[in-house]
Amino acid sequence: MAAAETFYDVIRRQGITRRSFTKFCSLTAASLGLGAGGPAAIAHALETKPRLPVIWMHGLECTCCSESFIRSAHPLAKDVILSMISLDYDDTIMAAAGHQADAILTETREKHAGNYVLAVEGNPPLNEDGMYCIDGGRPFVEKLREMAAGAKFVVAWGSCASWGCVQAAKPNPTHAVPIDKVILDKPIIKIPGCPPIAEVMTGVLSYILTFDQLPELDRQGRPKMFYSQRIHDKCYRRPHFDAGQFVESWDDEGARKGYCLYKMGCKGPTTYNACSTVRWNNGVSFPIQSGHGCIGCSENAFWDQGPFYDRLTNIPYFPVEANADVVGGTAAAIVAGAVAIHAGVTAIRSTIKSGEKTEA
Amino acid sequence: MTIQTPNGFSLDNAGKRIVVDPVTRIEGHLRVEVNVDEGAVIRNAVSTGTMWRGIEVILKGRDPRDAWAFTERICGVCTGTHALTSVRAVEDALAIKIPENANTIRNIMQLTLQAHDHLVHFYHLHALDWVDVVSALKADPKATSALAQSISPWPLSSPGYFKDIQGRLTRFVESGQLGPFKNGYWGSPAYKLPPEANLMAVAHYLEALDFQKEIVKIHTIYGGKNPHPNWLVGGVPCAINVDGTGAVGAVNMERLNTVSEIIDRTSDFINQVYLPDLMAIASFYKDWLYGGGLSSTCVMSYGDIPEHANDYSDKSLKLPRGAIVGGNLAEVLPIDLRNPEEIQEYVVHSWYKYPDETKGLHPWDGVTEPNFALGPATKGTRTNIEELDESAKYSFIKAPRWKGHAMEVGPLARWVIGYAQGKPEFKEPVEKVLTDLGLPVTALFSTLGRTAARGLEAQWAAGQLRYFQDKLIATIKAGDSSTANTDKWRPETWPADARGVGFSEAPRGALGHWIRIKDQKIDNYQCIVPTTWNGSPRDPKGNIGAFEASLLNTPMADPNQPLEIIRTLHSFDPCLACSTHVMSPDGQEMTTVQVR
Amino acid sequence: MSRVYTLVKTADAEATPAIERNSVFVYEAPVRTWHWVNAILIVVLIVSGYLIGSPPPTLSGEASAHYQMGYIRFGHFAAAQLFIVASLYRVYWAFVGNEHARQLFYVPFWKRWYWYEALYELSWYLFIVDKPKKWVGHNPLANLAMVVLFTFLSLFMIVTGGALYAQGAGNDTLWMTIFGWVFVIWPNSQEVHTLHHVGMWVMVIFIVLHVYAAIREDIMSRQTMLSAIVTGDRYFRD
Repeated sequence: MAAAETFYDVIRRQGITRRSFTKFCSLTAASLGLGAGGPAAIAHALETKPRLPVIWMHGLECTCCSESFIRSAHPLAKDVILSMISLDYDDTIMAAAGHQADAILTETREKHAGNYVLAVEGNPPLNEDGMYCIDGGRPFVEKLREMAAGAKFVVAWGSCASWGCVQAAKPNPTHAVPIDKVILDKPIIKIPGCPPIAEVMTGVLSYILTFDQLPELDRQGRPKMFYSQRIHDKCYRRPHFDAGQFVESWDDEGARKGYCLYKMGCKGPTTYNACSTVRWNNGVSFPIQSGHGCIGCSENAFWDQGPFYDRLTNIPYFPVEANADVVGGTAAAIVAGAVAIHAGVTAIRSTIKSGEKTEA
Repeated sequence: MTIQTPNGFSLDNAGKRIVVDPVTRIEGHLRVEVNVDEGAVIRNAVSTGTMWRGIEVILKGRDPRDAWAFTERICGVCTGTHALTSVRAVEDALAIKIPENANTIRNIMQLTLQAHDHLVHFYHLHALDWVDVVSALKADPKATSALAQSISPWPLSSPGYFKDIQGRLTRFVESGQLGPFKNGYWGSPAYKLPPEANLMAVAHYLEALDFQKEIVKIHTIYGGKNPHPNWLVGGVPCAINVDGTGAVGAVNMERLNTVSEIIDRTSDFINQVYLPDLMAIASFYKDWLYGGGLSSTCVMSYGDIPEHANDYSDKSLKLPRGAIVGGNLAEVLPIDLRNPEEIQEYVVHSWYKYPDETKGLHPWDGVTEPNFALGPATKGTRTNIEELDESAKYSFIKAPRWKGHAMEVGPLARWVIGYAQGKPEFKEPVEKVLTDLGLPVTALFSTLGRTAARGLEAQWAAGQLRYFQDKLIATIKAGDSSTANTDKWRPETWPADARGVGFSEAPRGALGHWIRIKDQKIDNYQCIVPTTWNGSPRDPKGNIGAFEASLLNTPMADPNQPLEIIRTLHSFDPCLACSTHVMSPDGQEMTTVQVR
Repeated sequence: MSRVYTLVKTADAEATPAIERNSVFVYEAPVRTWHWVNAILIVVLIVSGYLIGSPPPTLSGEASAHYQMGYIRFGHFAAAQLFIVASLYRVYWAFVGNEHARQLFYVPFWKRWYWYEALYELSWYLFIVDKPKKWVGHNPLANLAMVVLFTFLSLFMIVTGGALYAQGAGNDTLWMTIFGWVFVIWPNSQEVHTLHHVGMWVMVIFIVLHVYAAIREDIMSRQTMLSAIVTGDRYFRD
């Protein structure tokens, strides 16, 4: 049997020299506090280690995460699939179907128990016994739990798996839930976005494979390296925001000069993602650069923070769709009116009273 | 027992039942069950959409200007086409006229999707139905090179190049970790390509995977990202500024050049790789002309790619509009999406509820409630279905009918209609393909025909991309840089009651969105998407849909390997997330499984 | 704690002591200073906050020549930080100041008489009873309004505002350590913006009621209000 293509082969082919590879192994060994044999052990592992089995399951979703994944330019999706991981199951691209596909899941659970990665795109619906998403005649949520049980860790691709996304927007008729509501005992890395940026997806995978550890996560379970700053913090239109230069209406002078889209409802100031830095499709552009505000697609429940085109959005939990100025302004006006009436009544009454007093 | 369907098919569910679930290499969740006779020929077919998300109920009460973003998330594969259809529906309802440049840029976005989606479908969703990856290991790189050079001027064709690819593939296969190729049907007699053709196709599978990410950069430039670019009611969000102050903040010469360059490369890839591969593969499968289904009788297209802004007449639409019924190519019938008597949806075999299920409903009046219930002949349990009972409800897809007919939509439908209308841009390429392969016109009505039409359409789309990009530049040159009409942007300017319909030709076929707006909010929103048409279950009269029809009478090489089934299904490029989300405003309480 | 109410109860029950002394020292200088500083800060916060939500029309020219949003936001943040300092100072003074300094933080929620008196005060506002009672500090209804509409609201604004500020300051800052938990309750900060904005309007409503009640009571009731928060002495009439 010929040697499997290993991690080492891949990085060599990507132009990394033997010398830097050895250096990388030494540094990693040192940082891990390994002894004299450390670098050699790491080098050996990277040169011979089989690729990490990945099971990529689809629940209620739109496949935009898969589509985004294959847009990755560095590393190329081709190299990820052929050389970095072993994508043993992915409904969207796998050759096998039906029983032959299902058999892979069983085999992975048995052969790689505790050693495979479960990547989930989409989420499970719980209404109707979970039968709003049927896979192999059974509820998707059942299969998801089965596969999660033997996984080393779980990757939640996109806003569906991370937060619930569009099918979980009010009133969430299928009762779709993020995967951390049904997978309770495994580390879950959330890579939100609708979809996430391709290079962020492959970047997180490469990080795990390169450094053999899970990335540092923030309070909400997202990798800090890509989700610790808001789009607004690194937006190239930020100087226009600070200056007070805004697009006031579509295709106006400000729009043609690339002013800030804040008044057009841009959610950059409340959205944690790497769009303004990594950008999209190998750095070609990102929504704001192409003239449309950010809709906040990597944020929890962003669908219910609408409308997308107003800076002041509807008040959550409020029965009528209205923003804070409408509701607050109306309430303040009512109170002011009531105060005025009250003052009037007070004045009239005291006039009458003082009249009575005088008469008396 | 044999049943004769009104649309001319005979169904016999006596033989052995074969279940394929999940059907892979599609978008979403699909299940198919077939019965085969003693000769392993398919005599009955049941296709089931097995997911439902309820996007329309979520849309109710929201701002119509936001609807494009919600509907765009119906599908991330045909990304953007729902958004386009949605903004068209809202503009139709509110009588908003868009600027010429907005129309041009929208066409460029839609054509980019057509080119990209068809290419990815052919190589990454469909090719493995025709190409045996493992057989490629046996190929002679020199002979492969000779083959490649004989069919195309594409430069990546040296013996060394194919040897490298083969080497990498060998290491991959021999590693024992086959990844996405695991458990494939390698070695099946249903594969007919010689090893050299297989190796060439595998090389191009990888090249196409690298290249497809370039095409969508056009979406990134005009829409900010891909998948799921941004759209705008009233125009497009990207402003144009080619030479003024701050030009670098908008679509400028550099951006236009980037798009132009991508269009040229796209055109080259389609012409020099996709089409030659398609023809080479087809030449080995020209005896396998199964899978015609409804394509020879009932096809429909709404039309798309308007030459002029706001003009959706047949004359302006560059993709043809019309319907053919009963296989009468001599007459292309006009269609009217507003007529309540033409398009109607039935739910007698769908997991929804109507007050009167014998009648169909036009989408503007679409009332539906989910109703997941299995028939008495179902094998297995409610949450572990072994075999479905197709005499009862059996799919989350509704059954749309045009004047009572089950219709096939998609690239083949469009090209058959264009061909029937005698339009040279459709007729000539079709005739050339048939001549080159030495096949009669009837060969069009097959799995292979569907796949070929998609390739021709990708080629056509690349040509149109160039045309519209040039048109955009010409319009800017003539002094018109406007991209959005904001006269009716504010909701205060809208009527209290409005309704509209938007349509487009998605890569998978005819797509329509019907909207009702009341008091500035969405009152009702209904979509009928291509896979609703193609994947539809039976209607009250028993007419079967395109998926089911296409599977009938196909012989299987090995009934345990569903290769022929998925080959034909893939030729439709099914998109299940699209097809199975339709629901009315009045959702009901449903049983819930407990978390944990 | 109890002294103020003892005094009040005495005044009510026996209807004598307050009449004999016609002035009481209520608001100490630090409380009065805080009140007026706070008043100015809140006005600045409301105006700047409103402008952050709805910025003024676009300025022309080079971005580098302007810093309009920057100044508006600076004004908001500076006022907000002073507001936090002032609030902390006010909490401190509740401990060291006189009993009236504590009223802002305490409602005798479980006391029956308190609700009886609050109801009585409400009937005075609803013109049901003709004469209000005399109170040295805030009357029971005002006490409730101050705690709910001002103290709780201020806390809510500090917490939500602090959390939003923490986002700009950065994940690894003390701000995020102190206020980051807000995003566990509301993971999408757009929601926090909205709620903070709603809070601003509640503050506007509070100001309207507060100013009106103060002026009206000054005129109508039997004790002074406006001069009390300036000089500290409350005078009782009749």
